[in-house]
Amino acid sequence: MSDLAITGVGAYAPRLRIEADAFAEAWGQFEASGVERKAVPEADEDTLTMAAAAADRALDAAGVDGAELSGLSLATTTPPLAEEELVVRLGSMLGTPKTATHHQFTASTRAGARALAAAFDAERAPALVVAADCPRAHPPDEREHAAGAGAAAFVLAPDDGARVVAHGESVTPRPGERFRESGDDRVQGLGVTSYDRAAFHDALAGAAADAGLDDPDVSAAAVQAPDGKRPYRATGPLGVDSEAIQACATVHDLGDTGAASVPLSLARALADGHDRVLAAAYGSGAGADVFLLKTDDPVPASFALDGEVDISYAEYLRRRGDLDGQEPAGGGAYVSVPTWERSIAQRHRLVAGRCRDCGALAFPPEGACTDCGALVEYESVTLPGQGTVEAVTRIGRGGAPPEFATQQVRSGAFGVAIVSFDGPDGGTVSAPAQVTDHDTEVDDDLSVGDRVAAVVRRVYTQEGVTRYGFKVRPAGD
Amino acid sequence: MRDAYVVGAGQSDFGAFPDESYRSLFATAFEHALDGTAVEPNDVDEAVVGTLGVGGRQLGLPGPAVTEHVGLHGVPTTRVENACAASGYAVRQGVQAIRSGMADLVLAGGVEVMTDVSSDAVRYWLGVSGETEWERLSGTTFAGVYAQMASAHMREYGTTVDQLSHVAVKNHANGAKNPHAQLGFECSLEDASSAPTVADPLTLYHCCPTTDGAAAVLLASEDAVDRFTDARVRVAGVGAGSDRVGLFQRDTYSGVPASRRAAETAYERAAAGPDDLDFAEVHDCFAIAELMAYEDIGLCEPGEAGPYIASGATRPDGETPVNTSGGLKSKGHPIGATGAGQVVEAFDQLTGGAGDRQLDAPEVGLTHNVGGSGGAAVVHLFEREHDWDDVEDGEVIA
Repeated sequence: MSDLAITGVGAYAPRLRIEADAFAEAWGQFEASGVERKAVPEADEDTLTMAAAAADRALDAAGVDGAELSGLSLATTTPPLAEEELVVRLGSMLGTPKTATHHQFTASTRAGARALAAAFDAERAPALVVAADCPRAHPPDEREHAAGAGAAAFVLAPDDGARVVAHGESVTPRPGERFRESGDDRVQGLGVTSYDRAAFHDALAGAAADAGLDDPDVSAAAVQAPDGKRPYRATGPLGVDSEAIQACATVHDLGDTGAASVPLSLARALADGHDRVLAAAYGSGAGADVFLLKTDDPVPASFALDGEVDISYAEYLRRRGDLDGQEPAGGGAYVSVPTWERSIAQRHRLVAGRCRDCGALAFPPEGACTDCGALVEYESVTLPGQGTVEAVTRIGRGGAPPEFATQQVRSGAFGVAIVSFDGPDGGTVSAPAQVTDHDTEVDDDLSVGDRVAAVVRRVYTQEGVTRYGFKVRPAGD
Repeated sequence: MRDAYVVGAGQSDFGAFPDESYRSLFATAFEHALDGTAVEPNDVDEAVVGTLGVGGRQLGLPGPAVTEHVGLHGVPTTRVENACAASGYAVRQGVQAIRSGMADLVLAGGVEVMTDVSSDAVRYWLGVSGETEWERLSGTTFAGVYAQMASAHMREYGTTVDQLSHVAVKNHANGAKNPHAQLGFECSLEDASSAPTVADPLTLYHCCPTTDGAAAVLLASEDAVDRFTDARVRVAGVGAGSDRVGLFQRDTYSGVPASRRAAETAYERAAAGPDDLDFAEVHDCFAIAELMAYEDIGLCEPGEAGPYIASGATRPDGETPVNTSGGLKSKGHPIGATGAGQVVEAFDQLTGGAGDRQLDAPEVGLTHNVGGSGGAAVVHLFEREHDWDDVEDGEVIA
């Protein structure tokens, strides 16, 4: 087995929740059994931004800097682009070295487990494995009712932590259970209950047998959860009891998190101090991976999984873009992609400059020093991401620049602030930033003087290219 | 250096004119500028035209495109783009041409047509003067940036929404007396404060409209002025300044440093100060902009603009009337024509041609024109040299 161990875990879910009852009210019934509520991405979130949020937390928990990483993996069934390696942009957000391995795993809900297995095998350390997902299906489909959102990340290093003591895998050809056609963004399935259950059972049983696990004797089992009932059907093939599955289940509160389902439950189990944990991932096709992990101590963890805001079904449809209108005419603030690319270090990780003449911070780090006017090469410094609101307004419905109109249709009015960001060693530097995760209907007002924290989100999409960059949210924690 | 004089100034109506073109509007302004002067088109040595260009028509070479239309083809024509300060800077360039000796008679003006494109397109063009890569891509708008300034001013000085609304009340009352105004109706404090929010804390009444219109100013050298008019309105001082385009990189958010610099320079050149002003036309694209202007041009101390306007000091009967024309708020804001439009009001006031808005024998007036949120600013001081007894109904009779 690998010399590496999981030395830190991070997890993230959007703050929006929709209750099963809200679905039942809209549809007469809720089709995703066992899901009580589920997480819903904000209009400016996707699997890449959720991955970045979980990754930041895992690095933090493990005490590892992104620049130290030798390997980075991203797993998702729902990449915002079907082609183009988004793991490279994730690396940019984390500051990974150019020569670190950057690998992306997709096309199966066991992609997260595949990424973990590959990273353990590759033995490049430290490595970071991130799984993020927010599947979608057609509105009446039970898969859509179940579809949630979340991300988990694991730092792997040759240190104390959770080690894999057994791993097995198995496939069995079962087409049609869950699939997404080329060019479509919605999963579907034939809905043949006995066939579907058999695929799930056989793949997991095969992988457990391959791992040599008759009686794993675990107190927690992270099992693939396309809904809130399915994982409990795996007790037999996996040799675990329902309590072990319940102990680290996330599906009841987050919904189906696809490729992040097992990673999220595994992260929770490791953080909660379970010393023997089973992880059993399943993906349609079908295939499964089963791991047994052991750890002496709880793995350092940083989680943001709590729901903060309940939304209605109509608000849910808006957030998912099902009620979008036409893109407004009139163009937008056109910034060419090459121009944008030159500022990616600033957009993705707040790289500022320190004037070599007067020591003041500059953002962006170009042009004459805004303090002393010197034309200097700046010393590169990374801002930690906390700051104070210096000026703020709120752009109401209909008032947004055209390139933000779609976002406004989906999530309503938004704040725009000038933020005085803290420097890494004292000093401050100001930058404009959109305010996200802040709704004046339910949150406290955001005023001059309030503290905020930077997060990477989708800024806007033009020419098919989504620009990601920092925004700020109220500093809650 | 020889002095420059305004010998004529005129504007089209400001508003929404589906039947007019940018050229016909400019022609109307030019004709009004010629009125009451002895200037013939072939006297014009040089033309400077301010315009931003909001799409839908000529974007390159808009200067020659309007001067040819009024028969000035052949005259050296330059287009000036400094966002909303375009024609304030056009006037400044005209003064430079005269003072340098290159020209004796200059046409300086501006034009904009903004109401014949979709509201989305207008929003796009309004946004092009904000700092593009950072400020605008944080999702803000033109109103949003001024709203941010308002939030800072309110936080720093305790300025209130009602104090912002006083700007709308005063300027609408003035604009109601201006036949050229786009929104020539009065409004109450409550109307202004309770109107829908555009960008918190700014309401609809704290924001100027989008406008079609043109304005033209004829400038003559001191050697030539007497050939064209008996009125003597001297350009007593010119000042200008620039700043970082993005608000976030400026030294303050609650004032406009470029305006301060422009005003200081203009006062110095004119050997005058705020106490010498009999009136001012200031750039009130948003209500907070007028309040900041009071502080930046020295009508009151920094932070005092809220109580200052509430005291009535800038009403027509106050100590320094501001925006007797109705300002951008009521008269309208055709971006490229606004700066020259302010000079039209100053000229009318100093020659007795301001009709129902006429102040009592003013001698010195100031115009203050800002580009974007303060990336550019220009201030002019104008001084009447003719005797009031020689003026009747706006015509100098000498």
